[in-house]
Amino acid sequence: MTRTVRARALVLGIAAALTLAACGGSDTASAPSGGKGLEKTTIKVGALPIPDPAALYIANAKGFFKAEGLTVEPVLIQGGAAALPQIKNGALDISHTNYVSTFLAASKGEKIKVVGDVYQAAPNTFNLMVTKDSPLNSVADLKGKTVLVNTLKNIGTLTVEATLKVAGLTKDDVKFVEKPFPDMANALSTGQGDAAWMTEPFITATQSQSGFRKLADTMSGQTADLPIAAWMATDEWVQKNPKTLAAFQRAIAKAQQLVANDRKEVEAVLGQYTKIDAKTASVITLGTFPTSLNATRLQRVADLMLEYKYIESPLDVKTILVGASG
Amino acid sequence: MISARILRGVAGVAGFLIVGELTIRFGLTDDVVFPPPSLVLWEAMGLLADPVFLSGVAITLTNWALGLIASVVIAVPLGVLLGSLASVERATRPLLEFLRPIPSVAIIPLAILLIPVDSMMKVSVIVYASLWPVLINTLYGMHDVDPLAKESLRSFGFGAIDVLRRVSLPSAAPFMLTGVRIAAGIALILAVSAELLAGGTGGIGVFVIQAGSGNRTDLILAATFWAGIIGMVANSLLVLAERRLFHWHQARTGATT
Repeated sequence: MTRTVRARALVLGIAAALTLAACGGSDTASAPSGGKGLEKTTIKVGALPIPDPAALYIANAKGFFKAEGLTVEPVLIQGGAAALPQIKNGALDISHTNYVSTFLAASKGEKIKVVGDVYQAAPNTFNLMVTKDSPLNSVADLKGKTVLVNTLKNIGTLTVEATLKVAGLTKDDVKFVEKPFPDMANALSTGQGDAAWMTEPFITATQSQSGFRKLADTMSGQTADLPIAAWMATDEWVQKNPKTLAAFQRAIAKAQQLVANDRKEVEAVLGQYTKIDAKTASVITLGTFPTSLNATRLQRVADLMLEYKYIESPLDVKTILVGASG
Repeated sequence: MISARILRGVAGVAGFLIVGELTIRFGLTDDVVFPPPSLVLWEAMGLLADPVFLSGVAITLTNWALGLIASVVIAVPLGVLLGSLASVERATRPLLEFLRPIPSVAIIPLAILLIPVDSMMKVSVIVYASLWPVLINTLYGMHDVDPLAKESLRSFGFGAIDVLRRVSLPSAAPFMLTGVRIAAGIALILAVSAELLAGGTGGIGVFVIQAGSGNRTDLILAATFWAGIIGMVANSLLVLAERRLFHWHQARTGATT
């Protein structure tokens, strides 16, 4: 008899565990509370573990969100494109994304909005790198060579194409191969590619550890100061939560102001959400942190995408910005 | 002799680590940067004092356990039912044979799209993947029941439920547990893969994404090391459970492991 009793207890335990698990999911949809009349007081915000979204963590640490009556739960995402289904089904309220992914999705009819600017390129933040004894000395030498990028048909290939154009080459003169950033250095050393489109901390690490050289800065000329990353949400979310969005925008703007003026603020917070240690953080090259959402500046990205046929028809970025100036 | 076996196992692991260490330190050219085992093990020990990593492990293990338990709750009764009713099994078999070979990792993007609650999404893909080994092994177990024993009970006037309870279930139980053991390994793969593809607030896979973006291959491998240890411990515990609960089964089938 003890055996059946024990078995029943086990079944009960399992049932209880499953019920608890089922209940655990609904605690985020909290009703409006507090005097601010926010539609939603707790929001999940997706972000990549890289320097770009530092303001999110600073706004949290310094209580800027709390002051707006908002609880922000940062969620680590795998990439801007991967976060798109998560904002569409409500797993995330707002997410970090890159402009090329976002404009690509918008041009395909995805109902999404850019609700804040995050990060902009600066010199030497996105470089084409080669090994120390590579025979390549200029962009023109890339003809017929293999270029490693983290994602095909995205910001990497776009800016490399713009760089190739200056040297009189097109995308058909090189072969693009997809490779995660951490694997690029060894891939170049073992001959799986001839040049790699890298960002920080990989540029600094490969320069200091393996003597890699910069072949070209892909953020110069036509792509100088190119807008890189943004906050995005769905049309539906923006319409349903105007006050929550405004509160988020006010709080993140305060934090963005801090990181825009002092890179020490970024260095201090990196250890919290990335694996970039303090020593590396102090030497890597950072982009700039725009403090306004400027339509003219962002239109450049869409126009560049049109020129290199990433999108088929012109995209007026004003139509997908919320809270823009200029 | 168990101690001699353990000794040999330890020697094998140590030998592998030493060869790895020497190859990376002296065999590879200076241009290839790869963390040697000594560094990975050092970082792995350091992770034991990292509260973020530990809470991540707790999140991954919770999803793993919930997924595994749910798959047992679903697959065992289903397997018993299908195993007892031959006509139903014949009707559902084609569907099962179609669904079973679909690589479970391939359904993660679909799950991300369909299930808005992160932990629920992760548990669901774990359940989907670990369902099959439990179900298939339960089915095998039910087929393997000694027909003579069933007949004997029937001829003594026992009903179908009694035959199931006294003969079929005890006889199939070792197969079910083997299914659970195989599922435990698969469930861990899915638990980490779902985190790698979807991100999240914490977990072994989430930690690996962070380490990758920070150019910390050593930390990626250190986290992977612990994932491997967890899988190994889970497997050993279930092997132990199989041996203690069903030693009579091993005696009958002549298994010696």
